[in-house]
Amino acid sequence: MGERKDARDEQFQSFVIGRWPRLMRTAFLLTGEQHAAEDLVQTTLEKVFVAWRKVGAADDPEAYVRRVMINAHARRHRRRLKEFLAPKDDSGLVREVPDAGDRIAQADDRSALLKALSQLPPRQREAVVLRYWEDLTETQAARAMGCSAGTVKSNAAKGIAKLRAIPGLADMVTQGGRNR
Amino acid sequence: MSADRENHDMTQTDIALLLADATDEVEIGTAPVQAVVRGGRRRRARRWAVAAATAVVVLAGSAGATLAFAGRPGEHRTQVATQVRDVARPQVTELAHGTDHGKRWRVVVSVWQAPRDRTEAARQREAMQSYGIDGSALPGLTRLVGRTSFYASLYYGDAPLRPVIFNTVDKWEKFAVADLESGASHLAEEDAEGRLVVGMVATTVRQVRCTWKSGAATVAVPRAAAGSPVDWFVCVAPDGTGYADAKAITSG
Repeated sequence: MGERKDARDEQFQSFVIGRWPRLMRTAFLLTGEQHAAEDLVQTTLEKVFVAWRKVGAADDPEAYVRRVMINAHARRHRRRLKEFLAPKDDSGLVREVPDAGDRIAQADDRSALLKALSQLPPRQREAVVLRYWEDLTETQAARAMGCSAGTVKSNAAKGIAKLRAIPGLADMVTQGGRNR
Repeated sequence: MSADRENHDMTQTDIALLLADATDEVEIGTAPVQAVVRGGRRRRARRWAVAAATAVVVLAGSAGATLAFAGRPGEHRTQVATQVRDVARPQVTELAHGTDHGKRWRVVVSVWQAPRDRTEAARQREAMQSYGIDGSALPGLTRLVGRTSFYASLYYGDAPLRPVIFNTVDKWEKFAVADLESGASHLAEEDAEGRLVVGMVATTVRQVRCTWKSGAATVAVPRAAAGSPVDWFVCVAPDGTGYADAKAITSG
């Protein structure tokens, strides 16, 4: 019994180490802020720890983790109503098109995207992040968000439409600011 | 939409690339494994404590209203007071507890009042998840509105709460004298047989006899649970055997 518990603990620790980077990136897109992202991932993993016996044995532990993270994010958002956003570029100046490879300009672009993302309602943000960063199907995203695939579809579509409506972001793509 | 505008539109692939690029802003750092494990242990301990405290409140609140059951000295029925309406706070009653292979176990029943609308249902669903109910036992929002939910669940050792029998109902079913509804489940994870039996009977039932596959039997005394119009019982089979049958006994 004790050996099994040790093995489970080890399995959990490997899981945390292995998934930490990816979870941090997802949480960063959801929260828009470094510390909030760390906090969200840590809270998520603590909750996963409690249910690890079940989660570790599941076919797709990531699905459970995503569900916990989205729930924690939604709960946090309801509580605070306002998250740490990154309101960095509201000077009203005309945006210059950055040269590819210009790191400062690139950082500005990123913060513009994060700002745009953070201005989406939380459900739209979650849908966009799960569909286009996590690359989940609508069904998988629906499972993570605890809603129907149709709701994911409509939230993602609305979110994308709002992002598309921001001219600066469209420029970033068409002018080669994003070529990874 | 102008042609120029169309040229500047982002495709969904572009969005994916932008998002991927934006994640480079975050500093990944080393995973705080030990902090996560410590936090997880604290959460687990807190969950036990919260569940235990709630059960005590239910019992303590009803202590003054305990009625002796006519004609059966020493046997008590507990009349449990109803609580103020709050869809996010279940009425929790401990039905039984014990130790199995050195591990503590407890069976508790939680009764969740019917939400009036989707907002209340959403709040209740969230509370259910915090309480430890998850997966297929967690009803959809639409199903919750106007319906009472109940969960008889097991805590075993450090394992998360596991619903044994549960339902979401418009109205509680009326139990006739001999009616009995039960569910059998393994107690320890490694049990090959369903050793844990949890069930509901009419409040007039004095005892329930659980018969095991080995031929042996266990007698349980049903008890009231806060928020529930029916009584509940729990039987546990000895090691190596499992559930065969359960019958309500109405007369002494």
